[in-house]
Amino acid sequence: MIRIHWLVIGVSVALAAQDSKPVTFNRDIAPIMFRSCAMCHRPGEAAPFSLLTYSDAKKHARQIADVTRSRAMPPWLPEPQQLKFADEMRLAQAGIDLIQRWVEQGALEGDTKDLPAPPKFVEGWQLGKPDLVLTAKKPLELSPQRTDTYWNFIFPVPITETRWVKAIEIRPGDKRYVHHANILVDRSSASRKREAEPGAGFGGMEIRIESQVFDPDSHLLFWKPGTVPYVEPEGMALRLDKGTDLILNTHLQPSGKPEVIQPSIGLYFTPQAATKLPMLLQLENDVQLDIPPGRKDFLVTDEFTLPVDVDLMAIYPHAHYLGKDIQAFATLPDGTKKTLIHIPHWNLNWQAVYRYTQPVRLPKGTKVSLRYTYDNSDENPLNPNQPPARVVGGNRSRDEMCHLWLQVLPVNFDAALGDPRMALQEALARHNVEKNPGDFEAHYNLAAMLQAKDKLDAAIGEYELAVRLRPEDAAANNALGAALVAAGHPDRGAGYLRTALKARPDYFDAHYNLGFALAGQDDFEGASQQFTLALQLQPDDANVEANLGTALAQMGRFPEAKSHFERALQIDPNQAIAKENLEALRKEVSPY
Amino acid sequence: MTLAALVSVPAPVFSQQGADHDGNAARLLSPDKVVVMVFLRRDCPISSRYAPVIQKISKTYSDRAKFFLVFPDKTDSAEDIQKYLSDYHYSLPAFPDPEHTLAKLGHVQITPEVAVFSDRRLVYDGRIDDWYIEPGRARAAPTTHELKDALDAALAGKAPARAEVRGVGCYISDLE
Repeated sequence: MIRIHWLVIGVSVALAAQDSKPVTFNRDIAPIMFRSCAMCHRPGEAAPFSLLTYSDAKKHARQIADVTRSRAMPPWLPEPQQLKFADEMRLAQAGIDLIQRWVEQGALEGDTKDLPAPPKFVEGWQLGKPDLVLTAKKPLELSPQRTDTYWNFIFPVPITETRWVKAIEIRPGDKRYVHHANILVDRSSASRKREAEPGAGFGGMEIRIESQVFDPDSHLLFWKPGTVPYVEPEGMALRLDKGTDLILNTHLQPSGKPEVIQPSIGLYFTPQAATKLPMLLQLENDVQLDIPPGRKDFLVTDEFTLPVDVDLMAIYPHAHYLGKDIQAFATLPDGTKKTLIHIPHWNLNWQAVYRYTQPVRLPKGTKVSLRYTYDNSDENPLNPNQPPARVVGGNRSRDEMCHLWLQVLPVNFDAALGDPRMALQEALARHNVEKNPGDFEAHYNLAAMLQAKDKLDAAIGEYELAVRLRPEDAAANNALGAALVAAGHPDRGAGYLRTALKARPDYFDAHYNLGFALAGQDDFEGASQQFTLALQLQPDDANVEANLGTALAQMGRFPEAKSHFERALQIDPNQAIAKENLEALRKEVSPY
Repeated sequence: MTLAALVSVPAPVFSQQGADHDGNAARLLSPDKVVVMVFLRRDCPISSRYAPVIQKISKTYSDRAKFFLVFPDKTDSAEDIQKYLSDYHYSLPAFPDPEHTLAKLGHVQITPEVAVFSDRRLVYDGRIDDWYIEPGRARAAPTTHELKDALDAALAGKAPARAEVRGVGCYISDLE
């Protein structure tokens, strides 16, 4: 007892002695600045001034004390929690207190002997010279006016075969004006249609890319100020196919003068194909978002039960300007509850992807829940409507969103039972349909999932529900039409395909599918017309050339057919139908 | 407060009218006009983002009020300020204020803030509007317009509703 008593006194004396020393930049403050500020506060980075020397810090001392005390800086939104995030920027309270005392005591420099070595930063590309650098074709001229701008730059990837990407470094242009940037992988060239002219890019805060095949998004490709590019773990490279576009979605803040923003991205390839296939699970509940004006705590929840064991790698919450308290947690089958993230004061400007230092194992049966609150009162200064007005879910910055992306890697699965991501995607699609029977996308996605699993009749049922919700939607009509053709009903399919083309006359897939539908009804003239229209939209498609040749051959127009088969084989020497039919022409139809 | 015993200020870096070159701050505060000093720090992004707002309001009131910019950072050279003015398309007169004479005169501690003088008396000092809530958090659009209100009051010969509303931005360094 006595010893313990003495020990306690000894400790407090030592602390008091340390407290009486004046706080100095060289001994006490420089280590904090170098570790937690300098990555952005240095030349060429996002911050408006450097914090690398005593004179830098002295010049901004009062500001530093204020913004660290309020935790506006360094920008780090999540509360401390048991599951740790990589690259956490949160300052310890002790460090904040030291800064306050340093400023109160006159921001002293101290003994140069105490100054630690300044941090070393890599100049230029952070991971060395990239294997491929892509630069936005057309720079964006950013107006000096007050409002923030959301802009999407399209980067076609000039590769001729599938490559595997282990890292992408995003250089968003002048970092001072780019708040954050996200890369989306567009495997269908869908985003290009939104450009006024090729390379121009397009505006918009949120973008949606439809996919015709089961190929779920897998990686969170994100940039915010101060981030070092993330290198994917061994075996988790991102697949890039020929014809893929990368879409850089940026949030830009005007500077007060006109600025020119021209981002670049650097790709780092690896010869190692992916052996582990993560996927992005999206929890959301935008349909619940109908927030009356004046409401301070509008609650939105969603809850999804995992159908397979997964490792949670990263998390990315997203709301707009009314978002207030953002939480996600996991309830394991044994009842254990884990906080996945808690952001008590949401700030869209500092949104980020958070990666766990260790993957978080979530067994099958774990309930993942999101719980977001929204403040649509006039006490929320970020409220885009003054006075407050009704706000619903949507893509514009004045609409709201309730999204949570989880990057998960299925584990402990039996490969013989098929791709575990399909089970996840199907469970998610069913969950979304249940949650919101009026959700067009939910029905569409569930249908696509069922179709991918060859459950054609069930898929047709879901596509029909989607088309009923949006009778003129081009993608849904095309998908329903194609599914009917595949199920042996070309007559019924053709009608939906015509509706799709009415909505979108330059829809390659619908022309192609309608060609099939008509050929299936022996209307080869009609089929060849559709294939010809498809070719005008995508001139280098070997399959269309082969089909056009076949339709022409069916009508006895052999010389034309022959030239299309040959063209198909020029594009793809292995095009099987062209090869086979050309051979048949040679054998059976002299003089071919 | 009266400003009869004004200390001299440096010659302006840039002057559209060319009338302020005598280096006397008393001439800056002409008795017959409302005068607005706008304090800016070149390395303060909030100061810079206000450029279009400051230009617009100074243009609106150009026939009734005299605007000029003040750069209180001790380390700003004339060339630095000149470059800043041209980058941000300012055509307002600008003064360096390394001794913080004008900052003290205007009771200003933060950039961007303004000091409004009527008949050589300080009638308002503080923020332009409530656009910013704190560094890194701004409203889509301001809901109050303190500078405009102060100008309207001063031009009508009245006292502004509020004489002082602190701004959000960057502290002026080494201001005693």
